[in-house]
Amino acid sequence: MRHPLSSLPRLVGLALILALWPGGASAENDSTSPASGGAPGTSDAPQAAPEVARVPVASEGLVGGLPPLVPREGLRPRPSFEVLPVVASVVPGLLFHGLGPLTAGDTRTAGRLFALEGTGLGLLLGAGVPIALTGASRRVIGPLYGVALAGVSLFSVSAMANIYSAVSPAFTPGVAAPRLPPLELEWGYQHVHDPNFDYRHFLALGATARLSSAKLEAAVRLSPNEGNTRVRLGGAYRLIGEPEQARGSADGTALDLEGGVLYHRYPTEGFLLTGGEVGLRGRYAMARLSPRLEGSFAEVSVGLAFQGYSFFGPASEDALHQQLLFTFGYGVYLGRAGPLRGEALLYYDHRKDDYPGGVKAGAGVPGYFGLRGRVLLSERWGVSAEVQAGAAYVARLSAVYAIGGEP
Amino acid sequence: MLLALVPLAGCVRPAEGRALTDLQVGQAAGGGLSVVVEEGLAAVRSLEPGGLTLWGNAPAFRVRATAAAEAPEWWTLVVRNAMPDAVLTAEAGGEPLEVEDGPSVLPTVKTWRVRLVRGAEARLTVAPPDWETPRPFRFAALADVQEALPRVGDIYARMNEDTSLAFIFFSGDLTEQGSREQLEEFQHRLEDSRIPLFATLGNHETFSGEVAYHEYFGRGSQHFTFQGIHFTQLDTGNGTVDPVAEEMLDGWLEQGRDGVHVVGMHIAPLDPVGLRNGSFSSRNEAAALVGKLARGGVDLTIYGHVHSYYAFSNAGIPAFISGGGGAIPERFDGVGRHYLTVDVDPSKGVPEVAVVRVD
Repeated sequence: MRHPLSSLPRLVGLALILALWPGGASAENDSTSPASGGAPGTSDAPQAAPEVARVPVASEGLVGGLPPLVPREGLRPRPSFEVLPVVASVVPGLLFHGLGPLTAGDTRTAGRLFALEGTGLGLLLGAGVPIALTGASRRVIGPLYGVALAGVSLFSVSAMANIYSAVSPAFTPGVAAPRLPPLELEWGYQHVHDPNFDYRHFLALGATARLSSAKLEAAVRLSPNEGNTRVRLGGAYRLIGEPEQARGSADGTALDLEGGVLYHRYPTEGFLLTGGEVGLRGRYAMARLSPRLEGSFAEVSVGLAFQGYSFFGPASEDALHQQLLFTFGYGVYLGRAGPLRGEALLYYDHRKDDYPGGVKAGAGVPGYFGLRGRVLLSERWGVSAEVQAGAAYVARLSAVYAIGGEP
Repeated sequence: MLLALVPLAGCVRPAEGRALTDLQVGQAAGGGLSVVVEEGLAAVRSLEPGGLTLWGNAPAFRVRATAAAEAPEWWTLVVRNAMPDAVLTAEAGGEPLEVEDGPSVLPTVKTWRVRLVRGAEARLTVAPPDWETPRPFRFAALADVQEALPRVGDIYARMNEDTSLAFIFFSGDLTEQGSREQLEEFQHRLEDSRIPLFATLGNHETFSGEVAYHEYFGRGSQHFTFQGIHFTQLDTGNGTVDPVAEEMLDGWLEQGRDGVHVVGMHIAPLDPVGLRNGSFSSRNEAAALVGKLARGGVDLTIYGHVHSYYAFSNAGIPAFISGGGGAIPERFDGVGRHYLTVDVDPSKGVPEVAVVRVD
């Protein structure tokens, strides 16, 4: 029998693209108007802003299926910072996600955020009701959870975009790095506080290689005194968008096909977890939705993992466990040029098999929350850091060495 | 997301308070008597001069009671949720104490009068006469009554038809919200059952803010033996086992290593439907737990939480999810309200587990 989740990644990816794309196309038109001296009123954002900043520009024409964000060398006026929209974006803006830009007079951005929020709530309701009515039936739960999480992701992205739109006039937004290094190495320290496990201290190692449209990643976490070892080898192929090491002036919008294998050994507890996973990961430059959101991006991924446990000693296990993979987050690019550049992402991850596990307040359903950032401080050296909270608290700080360097 | 992050602090041990409460179950002092129920296998419902009422959460348990110098000499002991054939034996300093049988209004409510020696610790044992003799028997496994509490009597009536059942092994979610009113209704409706019900709690018992479960039904995590079979129940109402409970589990596994051992809990460590993950919040904690159970020689695991029936294995241990108490059922599974009958044999293990459909 065909598994009900077999078409889930396609479904959610399509839903995400459909949800965001129309806004992007419209935003593109909006953003070109001020620079080209077109008719006023294509955006309600303040047009006569005191600061004029250079914006990221896309390559000419369609790039990897993506329309350009703005014409090359385009200039965009920045709205002025106001306190009231910031307050309104939090209270009651956390419930009404267009209130930040609405208070600032940007009705077009407000409308799009309200639409995004409504779509998210609609998806959540559309999947949540059947989940409840079917008693989370094994026959339908995979696709329904996927749709529900897509709804939560749209709701969360619109909430974050609402706040960002209100505070972003206070600073010059960052841009996506035009070229990421062909090879990056990371090493650092990870601390895990999990009341159910003895391990605490980990050596964190990582490597990322970028080869044209492909990306290879390796991550190792090793507890020297306890022996717990987690190794993940993964790769990604860019389906839409410019390769990371050759973004040029593209805004970072992209869709990747991802895969990976996992090896996680628990010597003290006496078991081994191995598995493989596949999924789609998309990043969307929020400036495509509104010029107010320039410098920020949304990221969503969906996938499926198959895993098996091997137990040391007499215990045996031959079951293959599935896991729904779903992440979403809202990030910002850090820096525009010069020594400090990188990005930060506040995110949710639905997986339950990593060190943070899932939040214990939801009877096994929710995953964990995280915040990660990476900045290059010079041509070759940088730092990356991450904190995660779920069934455990995880914090990591690593040094980054870039071979090839960012320009 | 930002708001969601804030309350996470301090949430990595949501069951810690309940685990610590477990350690206090069965201990009370008042009316001139101090009482300790060994292993917390009964909850003290009331203690007043001359009267002690317990809710038994195991087929057999022992009570240490010390009467003060000014305490009454004769005490009335009422045990609710007792085995129908339970008797009271009492001794102090190696000498038997006087015991008189009282009226029994229900098969599972037993009343005795016992004459205590002031100043001396009395040892009271409430159990069927042959409870320590290894022999095969059958029990029922049930979970997830929740909002179906008004019609749970159907299930008890079906169970009453099977006179071979010794007791009900209940794996959590007695009620919808765990409020005092609902817990009292559960207790009231349980009076329809011929046999007692020994329970752990579920996530729904934690929904009312104040978790009153322990006052009514006793521990969330506990271990008892009956007819040579070991039974362990774990509080997994938050999809985790608190380290305090896990430390106790280590001892219980050691006690049951050479015997037949049945372990029950509400939320299963690993959901056989992984996409749903109606199970532990951390799969690594789940794997560590089932591996520990397997190495501890556990013969059978019984879970609830998912309102359906599943037969699978975890770390090689036969596992059953049986959430057929009547809560919103899992659709398209062909299983309605149901319970399990489990045959256990100290010399053979678990010969048979069968599904009994109620609807």
